[in-house]
Amino acid sequence: MYLPRFAFEKPTSLKEASSLLTEKAVKSTLLAGGTDLLPRMKYGVADPERLISLKGLGVSAPKVLPEGDLILDGASTLASVALSPEVAENAPLLAAAAGRVATREIRNVATLAGNLCQDTRCLYFNQRHTFQFVEPCFKRGGDFCYFIPKGKKCWAVYMSDTAPALICLGAKIQVEGDGAGALLDLEALYSGDSLHPLTIGSDTIISGIRVPPTGGTRGWAFSKLTLREGMEFGALNIAVLLETGKDPGTCTRARIAVGAVSPAPVRALKSEGLLVGGPFSPALLAEAARQVAEEVTVIPHHGYSKWYLTRALEVEALNALTRAVNQLTGGR
Amino acid sequence: MRTKPSKRLLELTINGETYELAVEPQETLSEVLRNRIGLTGVKEGCGTGECGSCTVLVEGEPVLGCLLLAVECERKRVETIEGQAEEGVLTPVQQAFLEKGAVQCGFCTPGMVLASTALLKRRPNPSEEEIQEALEGHLCRCTGYNKIMEAVLHAASSAADKR
Ligand SMILES: Cc1cc2nc3c(=O)[nH]c(=O)nc-3n(C[C@H](O)[C@H](O)[C@H](O)COP(=O)(O)OP(=O)(O)OC[C@H]3O[C@@H](n4cnc5c(N)ncnc54)[C@H](O)[C@@H]3O)c2cc1C
Ligand code: SF4
Ligand code: FES
Ligand code: FES
Repeated sequence: MYLPRFAFEKPTSLKEASSLLTEKAVKSTLLAGGTDLLPRMKYGVADPERLISLKGLGVSAPKVLPEGDLILDGASTLASVALSPEVAENAPLLAAAAGRVATREIRNVATLAGNLCQDTRCLYFNQRHTFQFVEPCFKRGGDFCYFIPKGKKCWAVYMSDTAPALICLGAKIQVEGDGAGALLDLEALYSGDSLHPLTIGSDTIISGIRVPPTGGTRGWAFSKLTLREGMEFGALNIAVLLETGKDPGTCTRARIAVGAVSPAPVRALKSEGLLVGGPFSPALLAEAARQVAEEVTVIPHHGYSKWYLTRALEVEALNALTRAVNQLTGGR
Repeated sequence: MRTKPSKRLLELTINGETYELAVEPQETLSEVLRNRIGLTGVKEGCGTGECGSCTVLVEGEPVLGCLLLAVECERKRVETIEGQAEEGVLTPVQQAFLEKGAVQCGFCTPGMVLASTALLKRRPNPSEEEIQEALEGHLCRCTGYNKIMEAVLHAASSAADKR
């Protein structure tokens, strides 16, 4: 499978990269690891005229500020995030999620910002209409959907494994370009629209990710459901972060984020509300897991039915909550 | 307006030898290795990151040649299966693959061998789980994977015997 032709630039500063991206005369796209973009270009879903590589900029190692914030370079590879001692110490939930993305070969080049900015997918995503289907779907600029033929929009889902983990951690992203240097809540990056899943323009660069320190004692878990383990995209994924104060049994803050089931990662706010305050009991965890499955509306995708994904979500939520609580209370 | 793509001069060290090539931006590392240098041990199966057969080592780390632009590998050290055996003497990993019947049609083998070699370099005594993790991106349609697992374990233990 060949790539279409394109022009290529490798700027050596963020400023130069920004100004190349904003040039109106030529349709440019950022290239980080390329593991999401290059397959899309091969399938014909993306067709940039020029790629702006971030490889000339260098990558700074994760560091912890005196106030406890963990600062990550957007161009850090997922392998380096998964294996970093700073990340393991300050944000083990993120390390676990980064280590579950795809395969080692992919994690060695795929970047954290690229993972957050990946496109949405569906079962028909990689079908080239030229030989398999006659009509281009919404993703390719047509006005038809193979998944829901009577539908009026695209139903593709957002698959990132690191986004739910970072959302639980209350991460912020640093954006360059429009509003240069601004810090944005990661949750605000997602529009909920399958066709245009990100709220930032294509001329914006995510230069860094900032993870605030957790207050109190934390328990966390990341679960990703796949049928064959290994390199698969998730049928669903779920990240959980629980915090307690002095009393290890009482929850002072709860965060639950679910990925791979809708066009954006979703917080389970009602379930979080159930957990805060209450002492952790098996009955409370079961109730919170039921609530997650009730409040998160799943889109069937990649052959998984809505019924299956909803049931699986409850099971995975209970599993993740139990693991997080066991960490807090020292159980296993 | 489409700007005219232009060739770039690229310096690569492949299996210890330095090459200077003019490549188009859209050429992937697998294409350059196969089509320009003639290193056809780099197999291209899917072309989209899903099979692992195009795995090569860049700076000692396994990466997918089908998803890496050659222009992004400027001055990098690339290793392919052709650079493994020295003067006809197979590496311990290659030898173990042969002895344990981990090679059938051979299409996945270069990628499997290179990923296993990189694993054993960082973990000389890997657990079965670590081997699975290192090879999870490699599809084999022939062996059923057990033989490959046995081969990597065997390569690790025969290297340990020699130490
Ligand atoms: C076989 C296979 C399996 C996969 N499995 C998974 C999986 O299990 N889980 C998962 O989450 N993903 C998976 N992926 C998707 C992809 O590999 C990852 O999301 C990866 O982290 C993308 O990062 P990248 O650096 O390669 O992004 P690129 O492909 O370089 O970029 C992706 C998008 O982000 C934009 N972008 C990149 N960097 C920035 C930046 N700094 N600022 C703004 N925009 C930017 C690019 O312009 C592009 O649109 C898989 C991919 C493949 C091919
Ligand atoms: S959900 Fe429909 S419109 Fe969207 S990518 Fe799939 S087939 Fe195309
Ligand atoms: S050819 Fe590169 S992963 Fe299949
Ligand atoms: S030996 Fe045939 S694909 Fe693995």
